[in-house]
Amino acid sequence: MDLFDTTQLGLERAIAGAAQRQSALASNIANANTPNFKPRDVDFHSALQAAFASGKRETVATTTFAESTQNDVMRADGGGVDVDAESAKMAQNGLEYQALVQVARARLDMLESAMGTK
Amino acid sequence: MSLFGSLDISASALSAERLRMDVTAENLANAQSTRSANGGPYRRKEVVLQSTGGGSGFAGALAAARGGGAGGAARGSGPDGGVQVSGIVEDQTPNRLVYDPGHPDANAQGYVSMPNVNPVTEMVDLISASRSYEANVTAMQTTKQMFTKTLDILR
Repeated sequence: MDLFDTTQLGLERAIAGAAQRQSALASNIANANTPNFKPRDVDFHSALQAAFASGKRETVATTTFAESTQNDVMRADGGGVDVDAESAKMAQNGLEYQALVQVARARLDMLESAMGTK
Repeated sequence: MSLFGSLDISASALSAERLRMDVTAENLANAQSTRSANGGPYRRKEVVLQSTGGGSGFAGALAAARGGGAGGAARGSGPDGGVQVSGIVEDQTPNRLVYDPGHPDANAQGYVSMPNVNPVTEMVDLISASRSYEANVTAMQTTKQMFTKTLDILR
């Protein structure tokens, strides 16, 4: 029996994935006025889902997330960034990150209670 | 890339958008300047934006060699995925000719060549730069909130 279960490891990877997605979305908003820029996104949900489906603890703990590039063109100069959509995604990602951290924190608290150190 | 990377990306956009505003202000200020350093009337200037990094160059190659694009490889000219000003170019549209025979810079036919600055275009650019700036400030605030939340784990 390990101290940290698969769920806890998965939560950690999800937090890392949300941080990576935040970088990608920040980059999209930063390049909103760059001609021919192709926006990027990180689909960490499906990568984690696949890792959990494998049922292996190591697979979940070592999940990495790939960046995908979108080829839609939004503007006449070839730029592909929809600032409204990116802002909405970023707000959603920020809240998701906070929720993930909250759950990870709550689970650590439970562990501390069980250890009798709290 | 860490959350600090996200802040760097947004910060690079803040300086780029601010420079766009400066250039727009310069264009508006010189909308009636018939003389400039290179002779002739003032020519409208335009900022060319370019995204930085993207896995190419030395920093990207080093990060790839060390396995995984994440990690804290040395940063090159700007943050990976940020934006930079690759140059300020002069708008090549022809100058406006205004009939004003009394003007000291008028030609033999009485026409004065005025700068190719259109105040309406400049105002639109100004609004675009200002709104983009705001969008990046909001992105920074979201990243900051995420940071603060992470620090709560240690409480």
